[in-house]
Amino acid sequence: MIGPGTLIAGLLTIAILTFLYRDNPVYKFAESLLIGVSIGYTLVVVWSGTLVDSLFMPLFSDGRYGLLVPLLLGLMMFARLIPRASVLSRLPIAVLIGSGAGVAIPTMLEERTLKQMSATVAPLVGASGWPDFSAIVIVVGVLTTLSYFYFSRAHAGLLGVSARMGTYFLMIFFGATFGYTVMSRMSTLIGRMEFLLTDFLGLTG
Amino acid sequence: MGRTFAVGICFVFGVLMFVQYFSPHPAARTVHRTVSEYWQIIFAFGLLIGVVAVLRSNLRQLRWGSDRPYRLVTLCGLAAMPILALVWGRGIDSPFMWMFENVQAPMQSTVFALLAFFVVSASVRGFRARSVPAAILLVSALLILLSRSALGSAVLPQLSDTAEWIRNTPSMSARRAILIGIGLGSLTTSLRVILGIEQTWLGRRS
Amino acid sequence: MNVETRHYAFLGLFVCVGLVMVIGLRPGVPVTADTQRMFAYIDSLPGGSTLMVSFDHEASSLPEIQPLALALLRHAFSKGHKLVGVAFLAEGTVIGYRLMQKAAAEYGRKYGQDYVYLGFRPQHVAAILTMAESVREAFPQDYLGHDYNEIECLRTVDSLGDVAAVISIADGSTTTYWMEYGQSPERLLVLAVVTAAMVTTYDPYLASGQMHAMVGGLRGAAEYERLINRSGGGERGMLAQSAAHFYVIAMIVVGNVVYFKARRKRAAS
Repeated sequence: MIGPGTLIAGLLTIAILTFLYRDNPVYKFAESLLIGVSIGYTLVVVWSGTLVDSLFMPLFSDGRYGLLVPLLLGLMMFARLIPRASVLSRLPIAVLIGSGAGVAIPTMLEERTLKQMSATVAPLVGASGWPDFSAIVIVVGVLTTLSYFYFSRAHAGLLGVSARMGTYFLMIFFGATFGYTVMSRMSTLIGRMEFLLTDFLGLTG
Repeated sequence: MGRTFAVGICFVFGVLMFVQYFSPHPAARTVHRTVSEYWQIIFAFGLLIGVVAVLRSNLRQLRWGSDRPYRLVTLCGLAAMPILALVWGRGIDSPFMWMFENVQAPMQSTVFALLAFFVVSASVRGFRARSVPAAILLVSALLILLSRSALGSAVLPQLSDTAEWIRNTPSMSARRAILIGIGLGSLTTSLRVILGIEQTWLGRRS
Repeated sequence: MNVETRHYAFLGLFVCVGLVMVIGLRPGVPVTADTQRMFAYIDSLPGGSTLMVSFDHEASSLPEIQPLALALLRHAFSKGHKLVGVAFLAEGTVIGYRLMQKAAAEYGRKYGQDYVYLGFRPQHVAAILTMAESVREAFPQDYLGHDYNEIECLRTVDSLGDVAAVISIADGSTTTYWMEYGQSPERLLVLAVVTAAMVTTYDPYLASGQMHAMVGGLRGAAEYERLINRSGGGERGMLAQSAAHFYVIAMIVVGNVVYFKARRKRAAS
């Protein structure tokens, strides 16, 4: 005998799967319920997990009155919902955007650009004295792909050849990504089918 | 609140957070901790605004729009979760947890699982080797699919090695180039935002 | 009833995968170097090391990522490591708590002593930056409301520099932020447990050493389960995954054959 939770989960799973035939009232009901429950869940987690723990408790229990500043800024965000007062929300947004941009500059430069560049500049000759084919392919791949994204000049002549080669490297990447993405989606499907066949219908052990 | 004032605040916080990255001075650490804390709290309020916006939109639709029964279902779901959490808590065996595990999680993962079917449909109808780049994409995808399946890698172990090399060498190099490009682009965009050249985040001028 | 061609393709996938699952065979899979590297690192840590586990994924990727996450948690608990759980995506909050509790119960690990779950923070960049200096400031209380200072397994954890590594269980780009923002002031070792779709995205970080190890997808779960000698969802899904892959390959081949035949016909006429 399956429990009520498994029964509900199974029925809702089938309701979502009906979309494969076409959009229908059963699917729409499930979708609406999902949207409502997801948002309600987020509300609970954000309120109790962040605002209570990081704002209200330290502010009112521990007397950290400096937190009145982010509280005020946070409340000003709600001005976005009132068209006439929406300009007030510019201040907290400016704080968020400015802070984010400020920490992003050194991080993007070091972690995303310089470290990747230095990893590309690897010895092109192996310990045996023979050229390291993989290292050469990596250098060629990075340079030609970067040349593809250089749009300030027409892709003609040497740049054109390089950009074309870059396209081929990009296609290899997109193909590999597609393969892994298919794998990922199939895994999710297998997980749901295992639930339906094992827990819900009891057809497999 | 004037655009200039907002841009000025953006500049101040941007420079503060940029400078503190390089400084071990206690004052810089204090700035870092304080701004990070503010950031977290303001962002949480931003998420709450999203919730309020959805609530408003659904209430409006319920009064005047179409699909009223579905709007009602959404609102009931939205109300149920905080009520359950408030009355019975968020403990491991609470109704709140039960709703997440038996209503939200199964439906959410099934919506994602639908993509598997659409991938199959796209494979039949759209995935054609129309040109050399398309053929390269196709071959790369097929190699990965074959190598990552248990049967494929058991029948032809060399396939796994080839696919691994493709993933770690040409594919990785293209992704690396994209990353470098994204890094440089993000760097320049961040500079433009801090310096006030980029003001799209302020919205349209009224 | 209006049945289109795509409906037959859908039905074919459903039947193909379903039939194989009913058969229930479990083919073994060879372990790849990536999975071996992850296993070797966790295995090599001295017992009682503290690892931070970040549940940065949504419920939508749960069927894929849960087997791998469980296998890793089981391995860590079996070695006596202390785990500190956090979440940067709202849905990961409940999932992470549930998974840690489940794995801990199997090895008799106690909450507060052997593991703790700190909960959710919405802005991951700000949270990581704060934790780099002080985990206590980012999470003054744990998920259950206990004060940070009262939790035994957190006594040796002041900042991210006090954890051996962070394991980011992700279905998106949150792992990137661990690598980028968690590197100052202490160098942080990042281990990634990701969905298969994110594997190629993170390959450059693995190659450059910014990420120490990465395991992805259901196949990764099957490999890891083999290494820890514990059967699970990964192993159970391998035959079905093979069937699904061959089905997709067949669809691609059929589609291309039809396309080239039609092209030849058009060229001839």
